[in-house]
Amino acid sequence: MNLQDFLSSLTKRGGGDRERTPLPDDLESAVRQVDGNVDLIGVFAASAEAAGARVRRTSGADWLTAIAGILGDLDATRICTQAAEVGFLSRARSAELSEHLRDSGMTVSTDTGDDELFSADASITGVSAAIAETGTVVCESGPNAARGASLIPPVHVAVVGAAQIIPDLCDYFEQLPGGPELPANVNLITGPSKTADIEGTLVTGVHGPGKLFIVVVATAS
Amino acid sequence: MTVALFVTCVSDTFCPRVGEAVVRVLRHCGCDVRFPARQTCCGQPAYNSGFHSEAAELARRMIAIFEPYEYVVTPSASCAMMVRQHYPQLLADEPGWRKAADRLAAKTYEFTSFLREVPEFDVSANLRFNEAVTFHYPCHAREFYSARDLEALLSRVPGVDLRTPRPVDLCCGFGGIFAVDHAEISGAMMGDKLESLSQTGAGLVICDEGGCALNLAGGAHRRGTSLRFRHIAECLAESLGLMEAEE
Amino acid sequence: MSASTPFQQRVAAAVADKRVVRAVHLATLKKVEAREAGMDQLRDFEQIRSLAAQVKQHTLDYLPRYLEQFVEQIEGRGGAVHFAPDAEAARRIICDIATSRGLKRVVKSKSMTSEEIHLNQALEAVGLRPVETDLGEFIVQIDHDTPSHIVTPIIHKDRRQIALAMQRELGCEYTEDPTELTMIARRHLREIFRNCDLGISGVNFGVAETGTLCICTNEGNGRLTVSRPRVHVALMGIEKVIPRMRDLPVFLKLLARSSTGQPLTVYTTLISGPKRLQDADGPEELHVVLMDAGRSDIWAGEFREVLRCIRCGACLNACPVYRNIGGHAYGSVYPGPIGALLTPLLHPAGGHEELPRASSLCGACGVACPVKIDIPDLLVRLRAQTHRSHPLAKRVAMRMWLWAMKSPLVFRLGQRLLRGLLKDGGDGWATDGPGPLRAWTQPRDLPIPPKRSFRAIWQAELSNEDKRG
Ligand code: SF4
Repeated sequence: MNLQDFLSSLTKRGGGDRERTPLPDDLESAVRQVDGNVDLIGVFAASAEAAGARVRRTSGADWLTAIAGILGDLDATRICTQAAEVGFLSRARSAELSEHLRDSGMTVSTDTGDDELFSADASITGVSAAIAETGTVVCESGPNAARGASLIPPVHVAVVGAAQIIPDLCDYFEQLPGGPELPANVNLITGPSKTADIEGTLVTGVHGPGKLFIVVVATAS
Repeated sequence: MTVALFVTCVSDTFCPRVGEAVVRVLRHCGCDVRFPARQTCCGQPAYNSGFHSEAAELARRMIAIFEPYEYVVTPSASCAMMVRQHYPQLLADEPGWRKAADRLAAKTYEFTSFLREVPEFDVSANLRFNEAVTFHYPCHAREFYSARDLEALLSRVPGVDLRTPRPVDLCCGFGGIFAVDHAEISGAMMGDKLESLSQTGAGLVICDEGGCALNLAGGAHRRGTSLRFRHIAECLAESLGLMEAEE
Repeated sequence: MSASTPFQQRVAAAVADKRVVRAVHLATLKKVEAREAGMDQLRDFEQIRSLAAQVKQHTLDYLPRYLEQFVEQIEGRGGAVHFAPDAEAARRIICDIATSRGLKRVVKSKSMTSEEIHLNQALEAVGLRPVETDLGEFIVQIDHDTPSHIVTPIIHKDRRQIALAMQRELGCEYTEDPTELTMIARRHLREIFRNCDLGISGVNFGVAETGTLCICTNEGNGRLTVSRPRVHVALMGIEKVIPRMRDLPVFLKLLARSSTGQPLTVYTTLISGPKRLQDADGPEELHVVLMDAGRSDIWAGEFREVLRCIRCGACLNACPVYRNIGGHAYGSVYPGPIGALLTPLLHPAGGHEELPRASSLCGACGVACPVKIDIPDLLVRLRAQTHRSHPLAKRVAMRMWLWAMKSPLVFRLGQRLLRGLLKDGGDGWATDGPGPLRAWTQPRDLPIPPKRSFRAIWQAELSNEDKRG
């Protein structure tokens, strides 16, 4: 069946004389909860923690040791990172990170094939944005940015540049491109994977990562 | 001001004392109270059951009966809602009646809303309770006041020991003909409500809706629960010394 | 008035099942509180609700236009769109996609629309074994049960039943610990995800402007379903479309709060076409199945606003009827207040007249609904459409009642007759009412009306009293 035939069950009946509701244009004044005049890092950290993520606030000097510390505490040895440049994790910083982790005795792979992802203890990704209102980190698909990287390993470490934090959920959707630049897969991640299906008891890590660490890096610039 | 009392079929039959209390409190507030004797039922049972032409017949009748009066006051939020909301809808296609329905809707009040808005009588300040008290928020009062409003009104009563039930706005399961057609469900809902009221530990329940009171009191009697149900008009009339306290 | 209809028989059984009633009470009351707390976080949730209602209503009022745009956008991004005028067509389309490509390992994320069309049975009929991967749906599937809530499918089950089903079907050790049970399911499903080739999901919102599918989930199985297999099929009702990307936050801020009290679901996934050429992973094919299946009939009639529903489940949680009879009693995949509307509207000849009648019209659903569907009012309108289907006795009783209410004299006689007919148990109460009042006195007593009605008191004394009492 084609579109026009399909729509004919609507268009034939029209209901044309009915009063039609206009599309509201000003959404923001009602929807916005957080504006730029607040301590964005503080709001972000509080919201993310409330959603069950663990947030580490670091500086340009100690973010590497912070990540190594998180992974070390978990006894994680097999680590996946992304080859892509995403947000704060530029190619240079990714290389720096890998080197640092290897120096700490971990195995680091930038390959995000199934074998790596399904056997990794943790993954580390950059994010394309972070939302203060909800404590959300955003991962977009792309070349070398696998959908599975923030999803399959049991621990996800998201690295956020402090400048990437935007105030409100509506800010994210406002800036999202509509054309071909719109990634095929975007994930807004708010806390670790959760279920409360069994008698309402909260359990984390049902399918996605059971632990989400967010490392916020406030660089001097 | 002249106020016509719409006592409602339930109060007329089962709890005339509520009507009496409303009359006495309204008179206390300086109202000239009338009782149009031809009144019966607002038609809500028919309306809610989907018998809308039947409901419209009763609506036209009610409109004609109450047309001459300045205000119409009823102890039932549910019947007030029927008149104010559904009469104009029911008669939407009959321009003459629709206008008359709008007029009636505009001058019809639920009892406490009337006291607050017209004679501006302070209900809280004039109430007294000599025991712990809880309340049933009638679902159809939503049109007029929220459960939180009712809670606030009662909490301002001097010296009150108010016990708020949880959840504050739980339905009692009455629902008119629903209580008979689906007695099983209705009874289960009533059980939940009685339990939440009992859990407050208060013995006196303010219940401003005749149907809800009939349902809950009937359930309490069946279960041997010692809850007593009073309309706020009765409590006011007693507090003001306009009526003897009941047993 | 006796428990004669199938619905009433199911109700009788449901009310008597104390275990389920208790489980549903606990879960729904908890969710009501969570929802209220979630809404209180918002500056002005009433305003957001109004916007959500308006955006959705607008979309419906211009539905053909938005569907056209939506389809064009998806196709522009390399996705395929299929049109299913009814459930049968939807089932056939999906089965064809699977069989024509030789796809065998089918995973599903939770989708009420797929439940609505009984997709699993259709897939099984062509030799496939779709695996439900949402934890609740997975348990429903292995226990050969059906969901009883649109968000929390196993709200009716306790951990003992779940433990038994897992032990029996998965051969694992018996445990009642929710974390352990969850981890057993995780391990089991992980292997399936690793090797699947077809993923079937529902859709929460379809953005017309960009052809984007928005899917809101908490567990991660939804993400796995739409990113692991080679082919992703998304089944969506035509009412799921919204105009613009920037409309999404209006709904996202309400959806999870209304469902569980969370500000957002853990994962909000936006899918705009299949995997791009250079993408590291993702499905090579994206198929969107747009389904009507009775929706255009609802759309064309007076119940259009029902299609605003975003399936948050808040009306179920708020409903004191649902709380006492659970989801299965409704005899439909959509239970609760929204189900009492949707089920008879989607299946007008299905004999569901009793569903809209089984409500006290307390209005808790309408207050909770994030898109402001006036559920109680619509229930009454639906009752009005079917009032002729009441048994003759009931219709005659209604006429007699009307006749009595039109005459003050008959009304007074009726009051007296009632007094005469009620048997006083000795303390002013009747415990066994006559005729239609028998049902009234099933769960409760009826007071014997006082000798003097209000009108009698008025006439005798009140009318003559001095104004000052
Ligand atoms: S009718 Fe409203 S409250 Fe009920 S599921 Fe739909 S959106 Fe939620």
